[in-house]
Amino acid sequence: MDDLHHISQEEFERIEAYLNGSLSEEDLSSFEVQLKNEEGFASKVEDIKTVLIGIETQSLKAQLDRFHDEAINNSTNASNSETKVRSLNLRRIAVAAALIIAAGSFWFLTGNSNERLYAKYYSPDPGLPTTMGDTDNYEFYEAMVSYKQGNYKDALKTWKDQLNTKTKNDTLNYFVGSALLASKQEKEALSYLLEVTKQDHSTFKNEALYYLGLAYLKSDNKEKAIEYLKKSNATQAKDLLNKLD
Amino acid sequence: MREVYKVDHRLQIVGAIKRNDSATLQRIYSGNYPKVEALILKNSGTKDHAKDIFQEAFLAVWQNVKQDKFIPQSESSINGYLYTIAKNKWMDVLRSQGFKKTITATQLAHFEIKDEENNGIDDDILKDERLEDVMLAFKNLGDACQRLLRMFYFEKMSMNLIAEELNLDSASTRNKKYRCMQKLRQLALKKN
Repeated sequence: MDDLHHISQEEFERIEAYLNGSLSEEDLSSFEVQLKNEEGFASKVEDIKTVLIGIETQSLKAQLDRFHDEAINNSTNASNSETKVRSLNLRRIAVAAALIIAAGSFWFLTGNSNERLYAKYYSPDPGLPTTMGDTDNYEFYEAMVSYKQGNYKDALKTWKDQLNTKTKNDTLNYFVGSALLASKQEKEALSYLLEVTKQDHSTFKNEALYYLGLAYLKSDNKEKAIEYLKKSNATQAKDLLNKLD
Repeated sequence: MREVYKVDHRLQIVGAIKRNDSATLQRIYSGNYPKVEALILKNSGTKDHAKDIFQEAFLAVWQNVKQDKFIPQSESSINGYLYTIAKNKWMDVLRSQGFKKTITATQLAHFEIKDEENNGIDDDILKDERLEDVMLAFKNLGDACQRLLRMFYFEKMSMNLIAEELNLDSASTRNKKYRCMQKLRQLALKKN
């Protein structure tokens, strides 16, 4: 058992790569030789595999109660009369709650000028033109169509995938940031937009600075918002700055 | 064309499950729970039983798909599979001695579930002592390590993204991951 325990970072990463199927052909064959010949190695690999499955399974298990609540809520409009009565009551409660929330958020919006300014100044980037027959980067433009239809989730899926191989690509970073911002994930959008602003020659730099400012504004970080808006040449940025000062 | 679409769709759902796409997992959960609950309520169980059994079955299906032990042809074949596993698990509970004592013989005679011997489905994929130790240890691991390992192994985020998120370079992120892993393995051993 003690042997199983001692494992160097290098060895761990190698085993992990094997389990992920990301070893090169050459490394794979030497790994397989070791699996066959070195005593105890196979059980080490087996143990790491179990640990990885354990992490994943526990992570999912921790989410199941949330799934459960969601599933229960969805099925309350079943057809027998008893649940109908109950769901009607629930509906009344929901309406009342919505009114309270609306009243609260009215107070919140008027009370929080950052939020209000954000709502006034933010509109999603319109996206790039998608012309038919543009075959060199079909997937990218396919995702652009989703983006323009407001289907940010699908767009993000493709673009994030593409980013894995082109981590510094400014267009990808910019639109992943835009799609995240449009789907109200401003915190997640920050790092992508930031990457674009680091690239002096990017055609998206000014817009990225502006949206970065907006994302910080939405996160209630006024100082950072001002910092980035100041760097942007976009006209709305200047406008917004005046309102913030 | 239709065939191509089908194949594509099938791959999509398997891919989504393997990626732990939460919208897909939620849809499968919500779409199947009511049927399983109805089955268990009709057969001497409670809502709490239904929830436990269903969640066990759900995890088993997910893991079987991940490990290619079950390759679904469509979403409806996942649904059928999930139902069967839940049913098997509930049969096991009903057959167990502890449970038999709590219900009367007449109730037993009225079970609506037919016992199909050996339907060849592996629903015990997660029944492993070491795995259970690891899961418990992970639950008790410190927040920082838990979060880091979850980003890598559950959310499948890229190294670059995680490094950015943690404000570290990729070498230190890798080292941190390794150290969290060691901590987890140690914790899992102590639990024995």
